[in-house]
Amino acid sequence: MANLNIDAKAQNTYDAIVIGSGISGGWAAKELTGKGLRTLVLERGRDVRHVTDYPTTMMQPWEFDHRGQLTKEVKDANPIISKCYAFYEGTQQFFVKDAEHPYIQEKPFDWIRGYQVGGKSLMWARQTQRWSDFDFEGPARDGFAVDWPIRYADLAPWYSYVERFAGITGNKDGLDTLPDGEFLPPHEWNCVEKHFQQKVASRYKDRHVIMGRAAHITKPQPVHLQQGRAQCQHRTICERGCPFGGYFSSNSSTIPWAAKTGKMTLRPDSVVHSIIYDEQKVRATGVRIVDANTKQMQEYYARIIFLNAAALNSNLVLLNSTSHRFPNGLGNDSGVLGKYIAFHNYRAGISAQYDGNLDSTTDGRRPNSPYIPRFRNVYKQETDFLRGYAAGFSAGRSSRANQNGIGADLKQNLLNPELGGWYVGSHMMGETIPKETNFVALDSAQKDPFGIPQLKISIAYDDNDDKMVKDYQEQMTEMFTAAGFTNIRVRDDHRNPGLDIHEMGGARMGKDPKTSVLNKWNQLHAVKNVFVTDGSCMTSTSTQNPSLTYMAMTARSADYAVKAMKKGLV
Amino acid sequence: MAVAAGGFISLPAWATNWTSETVQLTHPFLTSGQDDLLADIAETIIPTTDTPGAKALNVHQFIQKIVTDCYDKPAQETFRNGLNAIDEQAQKAFGKSFREGDTAQRTALLTQFSQSTEPAQKEFYSMVKGLTVRGYMNSEYVMTNLTHYQMIPGHYYGCVPVPAKAVSQTK
Repeated sequence: MANLNIDAKAQNTYDAIVIGSGISGGWAAKELTGKGLRTLVLERGRDVRHVTDYPTTMMQPWEFDHRGQLTKEVKDANPIISKCYAFYEGTQQFFVKDAEHPYIQEKPFDWIRGYQVGGKSLMWARQTQRWSDFDFEGPARDGFAVDWPIRYADLAPWYSYVERFAGITGNKDGLDTLPDGEFLPPHEWNCVEKHFQQKVASRYKDRHVIMGRAAHITKPQPVHLQQGRAQCQHRTICERGCPFGGYFSSNSSTIPWAAKTGKMTLRPDSVVHSIIYDEQKVRATGVRIVDANTKQMQEYYARIIFLNAAALNSNLVLLNSTSHRFPNGLGNDSGVLGKYIAFHNYRAGISAQYDGNLDSTTDGRRPNSPYIPRFRNVYKQETDFLRGYAAGFSAGRSSRANQNGIGADLKQNLLNPELGGWYVGSHMMGETIPKETNFVALDSAQKDPFGIPQLKISIAYDDNDDKMVKDYQEQMTEMFTAAGFTNIRVRDDHRNPGLDIHEMGGARMGKDPKTSVLNKWNQLHAVKNVFVTDGSCMTSTSTQNPSLTYMAMTARSADYAVKAMKKGLV
Repeated sequence: MAVAAGGFISLPAWATNWTSETVQLTHPFLTSGQDDLLADIAETIIPTTDTPGAKALNVHQFIQKIVTDCYDKPAQETFRNGLNAIDEQAQKAFGKSFREGDTAQRTALLTQFSQSTEPAQKEFYSMVKGLTVRGYMNSEYVMTNLTHYQMIPGHYYGCVPVPAKAVSQTK
C-alpha cells in the first residue's frame, strides 16, 4: 500500500501550483509554464473557454428576454451583486451569486467576485495605468502604512513586458505622475472632450486630461495575432466575453498561451482550502483543495506556490493555512495578515451639459474614455487630506425622441429623434489609506458551503475619504465651470466599500518582516517558496486601476521565483 | 483558430438560433383574453402604418414578460387592475369592450387614462405606454429595418459633422 501512496503523491506533484486563474493567476501560469515548469492551475469556479463559453456575446438586444433587465427573482436573491454596474441579463453567468459564497459584513461591504477560469478578467473595466514613484513613495512620504520595498524602476521593465503582450492602447503624454507605456494607437477624442482638455491645460499647469489607457487592441501586433486575438471591434459589450479577443482577459490570452506550452494542467472546480506547510522541511509543500462537485478533499504538491486567488480570498487562504509553526495563518509572524486593507473611493461624480460644438457629433462606440491623472498633493501636501484622486471623464450626445402623443403621431416621433446637446460627466477614483482597523478575519463559527470558515469583512471609509469626496466635487465643479459647462450637478452616492472592485492589501509587501507579510519579490518573508502577486500584496493603493500592476508584479515575481529555484534558494 | 485582423470569427449555433416563439413564459401572468386586450392597447399606442405596429411585432408578449418577471406585486396589481378598468371604462364611454371599439374610441379612452385624476389609471397608462415604446424600439424589426442598429460598429470617430438626419443607434 505504501507504494500506491507514493505513486499517488507523485501523480499529484508539479513544479509549481498557481491558485487562481484571473488576471494575475493567468500571468503566473503563462510565465511559469513559459519557463518550463510543469504547472498546476487551480481555479475554484467552472471552466470558461474562450469564445465557446461566452453564451451571450453575439446576442442582439432583442434576443434577451428582458432586454438586459434583471428579473425580480435574480435581484431579490442577489441584493449585493445586483449593485454592480456590469451585472445584467447578458453577464449574470460570470458573477458570483450572493448565496454561493457567503461572508460576514461586520461593516457594509459589497464583495463582487467572479469564480470561473479567467476570474474577473472577463468582466473588468480594462483601464491600465502605470504607477509612478509618487505612488510607491507615498506611504514613506506621508507617514502611513509601511514603505514599499520596491520603486517604479523595479517594475518599469515588467510593465513594458506585460503591456506588449496584453495589448494596451494609450497616448504617450510625458507626465511624471503617469509614466508612458508600450502603447498601441490611442482612441479618438470627441470635440467636447478636446475642448475640456484645452480649457484645463490653459488654466492649470499641473492638471492634465489625457486619453485613457486600456487593455484593448487598437492595432494588433504579431504577438496578439499569435494569441488568436484580433482588433477591438468597438462593440462595448466587453463584459459578456469578447469573441475577437479585442480586450485582454486570461481566457483570450494568458491561459491558452500557457496551455500551448503543454506544461499546464488546469483544474477548475477546485476550491483551495489551505496551503500545506511542512515543519520538518520548513517550507510549503502543496495545496489542499475541496473539489467543488464531489466535496472531496485532495492534496497537490509543488516546489513553489503562487497565490492569486484575488485580494480577499488570498487573505482567506493564508489565514486558513494554519500549523504549529503558523497558528495565525501562513507567514503571519508579524500579525498584520488580513489588516491594512484599502480600496478605491468611487463615491463621487459630476455631470453637466455643454451648449457648444453642436455642429459635431460622434460615430461608433469607444470602450474607453479620457482620464485625469491625480493632481492633488503630488509634489507637496496642499490640502487637509492625504493623497488624492484620479478621475474618469467623457462627453457624448444622444438622440432623444419626443414621446408625447399616441398612435401614428407617437410612432412618427419615435422614429425621428432629435440629436440632443452634449452631456459631460466624470467620476472620482480616490486613494484610500490602509489602516489596521480595516481588516478581514476568519469567522470562528460560520462556514461556507465547502466547510471553510467564512470571511469576516470590516472595512469602512474615514474622514480622509469624506474630505476627498468634497474636494473632488469642488475642483471638478471649478474645472467644469471654466470649460463653460452648465447645469453642473455633483453627487456622492455613499456606496459601500467593495463596489469599486479594487480591494487591496492584507498581505502587504514591506522591507521589515515584523510589519509586513511579503518581501520585495512578493515572497512570504517566512515561507520563501510561496509567492503572492494579486491585490492582497498591495502596501498602498494609489489612484490607478490596479490590474496592470498585478500583471507586472506577477511576471517579475515569476521570473525571480524560477531563477531562485534554479539556484536552490526556494 | 483562424483569425484575421479586424475580421470575424465563426460562432457556435446558439449565437443565431433564437426566435420569439422559443421564448415562452413559464407562468403567464395574464389570461389569454387579457393578453389580447393588451395587444390591442399596445397597437393603439403604436399602430400599424406603412410599417408594422406593436401587435404585429408581439410587443404585448414583451410587456407581459417584463411585468411577470421584473415587476413587484404592487406594480403587477396596478397593471392587472388597469386592464380591467380599461374595459369597464370602455363600456361606460362607448358601450362596448375596448377591443370592439374603433381606433378613435380606443385612442380617446387611453388619452383619458393618461390625463386621469385617478392615480392608478394614470400609473397604469404610463406603465403600459413606456413598455410599449421600449418593446417596439427594441424589437428586431425596428432595430434592423428602421433604426439600423449596429452590433459591431468597428470604429469610433470622435468628431464628425452632425448628419442631416440624426441617427440614434450609435450610442
